[in-house]
Amino acid sequence: MPDPGLFLKATVAATGASAVFVLALGCVRRPEFTSRMNLACVLGVALGLMLGLFLLDLRPDWPPAKGLDRFLTVILPAALAIELVIASYWPPCWLIWTLRLGLTAVVGRIILHDSIYLVGPRSWTAWQMVLALAACGCLLATVWGLLVCLSRSAKDVSILFAISQATICASFIAMMAGYVTGGAAALPLAAALAGTAMASWIIVPRHAIEGTIGIGLVGLFGLLLIYRFFGGMTTTQALVIFCSPLLCWFTEFPKGRRRAPWLVGLVRLALVAIPLIAVLFLAKRKFDRDMGPLLGNAAISPHEFRASEPTGLIHTLAV
Amino acid sequence: MCRLFSCCLTTIVLGFGIFAAGKPAFAADDYAFDPVHSSVSFKARHLDISWIHGRFNEVSGNFSLDRENAAKSTFVLSIKAESVDTGNKGRDEHLRQPDYFDTKQFPTIDFKSTSVKAAKGGYEVTGDFTMHGKTQKISFVVEGGKEIEFMGTKRTGFSTELKVKRSDYGFDKKNIGLIGDEALIDIDFEGTRK
Repeated sequence: MPDPGLFLKATVAATGASAVFVLALGCVRRPEFTSRMNLACVLGVALGLMLGLFLLDLRPDWPPAKGLDRFLTVILPAALAIELVIASYWPPCWLIWTLRLGLTAVVGRIILHDSIYLVGPRSWTAWQMVLALAACGCLLATVWGLLVCLSRSAKDVSILFAISQATICASFIAMMAGYVTGGAAALPLAAALAGTAMASWIIVPRHAIEGTIGIGLVGLFGLLLIYRFFGGMTTTQALVIFCSPLLCWFTEFPKGRRRAPWLVGLVRLALVAIPLIAVLFLAKRKFDRDMGPLLGNAAISPHEFRASEPTGLIHTLAV
Repeated sequence: MCRLFSCCLTTIVLGFGIFAAGKPAFAADDYAFDPVHSSVSFKARHLDISWIHGRFNEVSGNFSLDRENAAKSTFVLSIKAESVDTGNKGRDEHLRQPDYFDTKQFPTIDFKSTSVKAAKGGYEVTGDFTMHGKTQKISFVVEGGKEIEFMGTKRTGFSTELKVKRSDYGFDKKNIGLIGDEALIDIDFEGTRK
């Protein structure tokens, strides 16, 4: 049963912890400011995420037998480690993208490990498996690459807010589809991303935060895979949510670029919010229709019961 | 001489064969699971005020009975978790999700006996019960075992009731409360042999 109070507590704590950490590390200005900000943001997200998950009491089992356990013990730590190494040492560009593409290639395989899709009588054929996992990897790599490009050219934290928006939307839809624990796991990620974005915007409004984008996207993608393949989320919902941050690119058209940075940021968030609100609205309608009766709206009065009794020919046939 | 030896050998071989065929068979009888006349149903407390009833529509298995030596008997049961049916489509979908049965990750609920003892009115069966990816050793008594012949087929059946705690099988503790931790499972099954 969802506990809104606990969810709010974990979300606020994750946002606060990330923001305070980034502010503390980012306020001391030194010549290597950009790389230090990137490092502070990655560490800030990690701290907020851990605090939020701890407060939600989401402790994965070891060995990780479930999709969510594999996400929390393998995928997220791997994304954090890769972005931490990149933010700390700034290796050559080819090595950066080799590490990132390596992760995109294995995310789907790790999440679906030992599930009915890969093992058992109803599993995918070898070709279906290769196609599905390759499509997953390509989608993640494409969106990741496009958003990193945008972050480098626009140097704006609104991209992080957009990923945070999409993650919150994914969380609510997963919960409405009946997967409460999985939906809750997305809240600390969304909160940590928002906290980091807020703090880095306060320190310096315009700078690239590539590392945090990577963690946010891998996190969002992993969760969407879990919701789609193990929970009740549809492919359309997952695709709309994951691709919605790409709408940030619309402000890069010549007319949009000339506006004030804060206005451009707001337009980006509004554009991303449109498809997210649409899928949320449709998911809520389905939730009211399918799950409403389970939440106590199914009581039928004796009068309604009598009114629903079959009459005439139908009644005769039924008897 | 050669013909005499050949005759003796044939007599010995035939005699041995006839003796072996005439000997009473003590081997276990293998029964094919009859899904039409078997059912696995369950009930669990709802808000600790009443019971929710449900069943699994797809069950398979097999068992072998050695009536002379019960220890040689075996029982195997496999339940398709996705076939859960509580009479409400929305609730069934919810039960298939990772918060409950996680049917995409753990598609079956399995039981495999490890030891069988004769008991009053049936057999006491001990074995590994695997649900939601966790295996626990459980013991229960299956009542029945009377064999009848119906339309040329030998048929036997058993009934049992199990009590399982969902928390012992890795179900999320946060989702225990709305639906009680303990579930009562009624298993009735028949098997056939020629």
